[in-house]
Amino acid sequence: MTNLNKIAIINMEGVSKRYLPDTLALYDVHLHITKGEFVFLTGPSGSGKTTLLRLLFCAEKPSVGEIWLDGMALSSITPSQLPYLRRKIGVVFQDFKLLERHSVFENVALSLEVTGLTGGHIEKRVKQIIERVGLGDKIKRFPPQLSEGERQRVAIARAVANRPQIILADEPTGNLDRPRAKEVLSILEELNAEGTTIICATHDERLYERGYKRTLRLYDGILNSP
Amino acid sequence: MINPYIKRAFSDLKRNLMTQMMTTAVVALSVLIFIFFYFIYLNLQHVAEIFGAELGPVVFLKKDVPAGRIPDIYQKLIKLPGVEAVNYVSPEDAMNRLKTFLKDEKDVLEGVDPDFLPPSFELKITPAFRDIGNISSMAGRIDKWPEVYSVRYGQEWIGGLEAFIRVFRIIVVISAFFLLLTAAFVVSSTIRLALYARKEEIEILHLVGATRMFIQTPFIIQAFSQGLVGSSMAAGIVFFCYLYIKNIVAQFTLLGGIGLYFLPWPHIVSIIAISACVCAVWTAFVIRKSLVQ
Repeated sequence: MTNLNKIAIINMEGVSKRYLPDTLALYDVHLHITKGEFVFLTGPSGSGKTTLLRLLFCAEKPSVGEIWLDGMALSSITPSQLPYLRRKIGVVFQDFKLLERHSVFENVALSLEVTGLTGGHIEKRVKQIIERVGLGDKIKRFPPQLSEGERQRVAIARAVANRPQIILADEPTGNLDRPRAKEVLSILEELNAEGTTIICATHDERLYERGYKRTLRLYDGILNSP
Repeated sequence: MINPYIKRAFSDLKRNLMTQMMTTAVVALSVLIFIFFYFIYLNLQHVAEIFGAELGPVVFLKKDVPAGRIPDIYQKLIKLPGVEAVNYVSPEDAMNRLKTFLKDEKDVLEGVDPDFLPPSFELKITPAFRDIGNISSMAGRIDKWPEVYSVRYGQEWIGGLEAFIRVFRIIVVISAFFLLLTAAFVVSSTIRLALYARKEEIEILHLVGATRMFIQTPFIIQAFSQGLVGSSMAAGIVFFCYLYIKNIVAQFTLLGGIGLYFLPWPHIVSIIAISACVCAVWTAFVIRKSLVQ
């Protein structure tokens, strides 16, 4: 790893998340992820993986503690700054979260349109990224016309279209068979090789069994980091 | 950044065409009712003006006023503020008019001395002075002149009509307020439903880093265009009704050439612009409350 890669891009200090009335989803989490790292976040269902990711993309606020993202304390982010912070993060969900009445092209273009890019630039970048995830021939199709693996690839394409620094993947292979899961993983690995920090929450042991990536384990909201 | 917003607004319109059309129809109906009231009000006002002009004050002189005083009285009348023209009607002229009015029954006037009718002056009032209050005050002053027997100006009729028009104007203003509010409420309710139906899309937009402006602007453009199209349709419908009624009115000679008048074009443009703006502003207000990052 180079020195550049050792710069912390995500820092969590003493983060807890409590849901009313008395559910403790995360407890005293201390986490340090460096730029360009690929981290698996594992644990059984209900262990707090999704909550941790939701805190990172500011869908929720911690009850206690502080999170720094690329050096910026999330507690100090104003509502008007939030969209710009989110553009640094690409999110991939288990249920894809694609717009069913929009084509593959339109779904992927959405994350570029919000940045203010216009026609020609969007078209070029979207085509490029869709080719890359292997869906070049299905650019005009709509999500219901695609297989689950293809839909997940569209979701990944949307997440990476505006070149985010971080990708948060929440059970990205949860709905896929083994070959499709491998395909998705290899796309994430490629992106990581280009310098994107990846946090992949999963309880699919097949993904991290090879053991060459850092694996964080969550049990009942408590993080055990090796 | 305007073009992408407009593009998104109209592609959304296309995707939810039926709902959008129904909203536009409700806006059209609300504005239609208002424009129709306003159209009636303007035409009543016009009728009042015509009668106000035609029923100018008539100053009846006492029968014993010497003929030599007539030019002096004429000069005094023509110099009064608000008087445009003065016409002297001698007892002979009055008798001739009466005979013309009676047509076939003019024989009843056979042998009647024209002097039984008093001499009079008919005053034509300037348009700016044509108000029941002004005319009434002027008539009161003239009535005190020693040569004057009485002053008549159809006060009951015009006064009643003007009072009715004043009440009607208040009704038009209040109805405008409520109807515009109805239109804005319907549009914003549709937008609220659209927001609810597209909750997932908005959530995704938030996730990919869309600003509040990026999300809400297409909705505001949609509301503005619904207000614009709806109110234009309403104006168009009233205009075609006006053309139809105008032809019918023209056939009634009894109405003495009183024509119908459509709303002045600047008023139409203002109504359309205000409707569009109210719909857009109200929607912006609703979205502001509904959108949570």
